[in-house]
Amino acid sequence: MKRIAYMSAVLALLVFSGCSTKEPAIDATENAAGNTSKTAGVTNGSQTGLSDNAAVISPITNASSADTSVAGGNNSATGANGQAITSVLFDYDKFDIREDMQAAINVNSGLLKGKTFKLEGNCDEFGSDEYNFALGLKRANAVKTALVNDGISADSIAMVSFGEGNPVCLEKTPECWAKNRRVDFKLP
Amino acid sequence: MRMVWIFLFLGSISLWGADATLEVTKNVGGLSKFVIEDGSETKIEATQKFHKMLSADMKVVSLFDVDESYAAQNYESTQPSLEHKDAAYVLRYRLVSDGKDGFKADIKLVQNTLVLFTKTYYLKQSEMVVFLAHSIAYDINAKMGGAPLEWMKRKVLLVRLTGAKRSDIIAADYTLSYQKVILSGGMYGFAKWANREQTDFYYTSLSDFRPTIYKANLASGDKKAIVSSDGMAVCSDVSEDGTKLLLTLAPNGQPDIYWFDTVTKEKKRVTDYSGIDVNGQFMGNDTIAFVSNRLGNPNIFSKKIDSSAINQLVFEGKNNSSCSTYRNLLVYKTRDGKGFDLHLISLNSNGVRRLTSSGENDYPRFSYDGEAILHIKQEGPRSSLGIIRLGLNKSFAFPLHIGRIQSIDW
Repeated sequence: MKRIAYMSAVLALLVFSGCSTKEPAIDATENAAGNTSKTAGVTNGSQTGLSDNAAVISPITNASSADTSVAGGNNSATGANGQAITSVLFDYDKFDIREDMQAAINVNSGLLKGKTFKLEGNCDEFGSDEYNFALGLKRANAVKTALVNDGISADSIAMVSFGEGNPVCLEKTPECWAKNRRVDFKLP
Repeated sequence: MRMVWIFLFLGSISLWGADATLEVTKNVGGLSKFVIEDGSETKIEATQKFHKMLSADMKVVSLFDVDESYAAQNYESTQPSLEHKDAAYVLRYRLVSDGKDGFKADIKLVQNTLVLFTKTYYLKQSEMVVFLAHSIAYDINAKMGGAPLEWMKRKVLLVRLTGAKRSDIIAADYTLSYQKVILSGGMYGFAKWANREQTDFYYTSLSDFRPTIYKANLASGDKKAIVSSDGMAVCSDVSEDGTKLLLTLAPNGQPDIYWFDTVTKEKKRVTDYSGIDVNGQFMGNDTIAFVSNRLGNPNIFSKKIDSSAINQLVFEGKNNSSCSTYRNLLVYKTRDGKGFDLHLISLNSNGVRRLTSSGENDYPRFSYDGEAILHIKQEGPRSSLGIIRLGLNKSFAFPLHIGRIQSIDW
């Protein structure tokens, strides 16, 4: 009995690890019953009685799911003296720079001169659609414009939007959502 | 040895039991009672779980008053079991291990002792057993003249957010009972099938230095970069023949819609508004629908690819930020009241039909035949795959137990 249980476990592991074949997973044959009588709304089965291509399902995949092309994580940007760069926060559905964020941008600008860095636009959790990603990008672009106006080279700034995919706060509160509507500064 | 295969089959089914939440139930009055019976020679937990899967699918089929109670009966009998003696229809199945990783399944549909339909299936991968249930339900629906259900057998592609800057791309069945991670280790978004056959798919990698759209082969995992853009790169739509794409790119920090020919590699900018233009959707070969905030709030517009004239498509709602098209139909997400709901309009008339009434509903996608709409439903922390059957006015939600759905396609 122990042997059977052990073999079952090993075989189950093989199955669950995705050892699929490239053969069709489901083949089907059908037959109309000979003694079928037609009723309202009922159609007889196909008379072919042969393989039904529509019922053949291909295996999902044999490929490894591990993405080996992914680079290491970005580092938070710091200034020349190690001072942390402040993220820039935004209002709901807005991408214009708030007055209370202008000072932070000025400080960041001074700390990042001469460096190449990336601006990461982020959004709250309300929507995973493209518009939300675009909102994150427009926020990053607004910060980029402000930095360029402050003398930083546009060529030294890359941008990306993570939409709602990079939250710093997971609570369901207005205060938490406000923290997620932000632009971060990252060194490559 | 036989017990080994029974255990194996049992284990594979028990991991992925169907977990359907019926959101809106139509009055079943007047529908014929339909029962499902286990005619397997060896009745074990696995064959009973299969009964649940078939029951869940037949409820989605919506042609019958499905009695979900389990009962066993000799497969060859044309009589229902005693427990189901008042049933009008009996669907009986018999599962037999093939001695490898799969099994043979015989099914028989009986009405008043008359056998209406029989069919035999050979499943070679027991982990995909839920697709067998979908195939059977699809066939029963077709034989009974139900509305098209092609979408039921298709694979669903979704991006699951698992943490900050971390997500997986998953191939699943429509109930999410079967899920297979096909790409992991980075931050991905907007996975979309590249062709109707579902052999390849596009996705955005946000782990590269610049957002990059890749095309990947499902079977081999081989992938190649299609286009990169600073800020944002999304494959929003694929033409019916798979040769044209609508992309959202932002080479200068400005999100706009681009048309891309996958054969010639020709790319042209379709929109040039200084705000946000995203979510391009083909409306035939020369026209697109898209989301733009050009009037102050996100709304749905259309334009011809080679013309600058813009038409507003939706005149209700102040925050319409996502859409999908099928011929003259448009489904869009709108913010009304406390949540986000999906609305449907016909471009040939002025009528608006509200499709959802609870939760945050997002990312609508028409099925290929326009019969159903797939979408993301968020209720509190729970993320679900939602399906709306337009012809029947019914909707279903299937929860994702781990993570949150970012995008979805079928």
